[in-house]
Amino acid sequence: MTAKREVVHLPDRVRKSATGVGPASGVVRGGDFLLLCGLVAIDAQSGEPMRGTTASETRLILVNLKALLEAAGSSLDKVVKANVLLHSMLEAPNMNEVYAEFFPDLPPARTVCGAILPHRMKVMIECTALA
Amino acid sequence: MTEKPRRSVIEPRNPHLNASRSANLPHVPGVRIGDYIFLSGMTPIDPETGARRHGPIGEQVRTTLANMQHMLESAGSSLERVVRVHVVLADISDMAEMDRVYCEFFPTDPPARTAWSMQLRFGNGCEIECVALAG
Amino acid sequence: MREVIAAPRPGLDLRRHYGHHQSPAIRAGGLIFCSGMLPVDPESGERLHGTLTSEAHVIFENLRLLLESAGSSLDRLVQVHALIYDSIEYDVLNRVYRQYVINGPPARTVWAAQIEAGFKVQLDVIAGA
Repeated sequence: MTAKREVVHLPDRVRKSATGVGPASGVVRGGDFLLLCGLVAIDAQSGEPMRGTTASETRLILVNLKALLEAAGSSLDKVVKANVLLHSMLEAPNMNEVYAEFFPDLPPARTVCGAILPHRMKVMIECTALA
Repeated sequence: MTEKPRRSVIEPRNPHLNASRSANLPHVPGVRIGDYIFLSGMTPIDPETGARRHGPIGEQVRTTLANMQHMLESAGSSLERVVRVHVVLADISDMAEMDRVYCEFFPTDPPARTAWSMQLRFGNGCEIECVALAG
Repeated sequence: MREVIAAPRPGLDLRRHYGHHQSPAIRAGGLIFCSGMLPVDPESGERLHGTLTSEAHVIFENLRLLLESAGSSLDRLVQVHALIYDSIEYDVLNRVYRQYVINGPPARTVWAAQIEAGFKVQLDVIAGA
């Protein structure tokens, strides 16, 4: 066995933000990468889904993403790829405007598409980052 | 310059699970590159006959994940080495039942997972793909 | 460690043309993660709507340009998510797809998803560096 696989232990203050997506680990180390669950807009304190607008859900997801990555020893600028699922592609510009705030320079590669999301959420973002 | 990571094709020991080969489809069941294994999306196929095996979603998920286990083991890996899973459901309301069966296959330290719903072909209830580390 | 692959042709800079906040591709850890490739003219960036067939041809040629500029190639593809607007065009996708992955196709999952701007197909790929 060469490449390391490890479920990253997350402190209480961030762990709940990676829930609401069923039996999964929020952040997993695989070789050189951190692979994260698809995140939806969850209040990190309560673990409750925070349905809102596409923009508000995007913002909460990315605030949580930043905290999760930093708790795992990484950072937003180490994200290599993001997959964004939206309840409607008409909302892509609203997502994009908020998204740009979090990845100001040299943004990751990204694919955006429309799908049916759990819990009637409007946005789900899955990232891969360098550990 | 560092050497390019080596790329090789993964095939299941059970030929019934190699639908892409038998149907002459332009994909392979999986690819290994360096330490990483990328599997193609898997659907509920009866491993004895190669036919679609539908029925309740729980059974479809069980069939699919058992086949995924076989695929990984054929490649010298295992479910314990899976780092990311994508579960696509035809019907989002099947999430809870899917979770129940999914837990049987990943009881501890589960992989990262993203689950959502999209149109699936052939009346399949689920399609599951994963990324794993080589064994 | 993490390297941005710039657009090899001006039309493939979707951030400049469409404000899509993304890099064309990122190389890291021996892999190249590409942004979902769309059927746009590689020089002008103009959207090239058409049939799934015509759109897929443009996408594959764009991917060829991008990957080759990064020292990789279509032969080094390891994973593809083939997004199509409706799974009824699965066989149509395959007919084009076959022409570009002759030397050992990658792993693939087809996603029937809503794609931007009414495009019929989009390819989300990872290749070996």
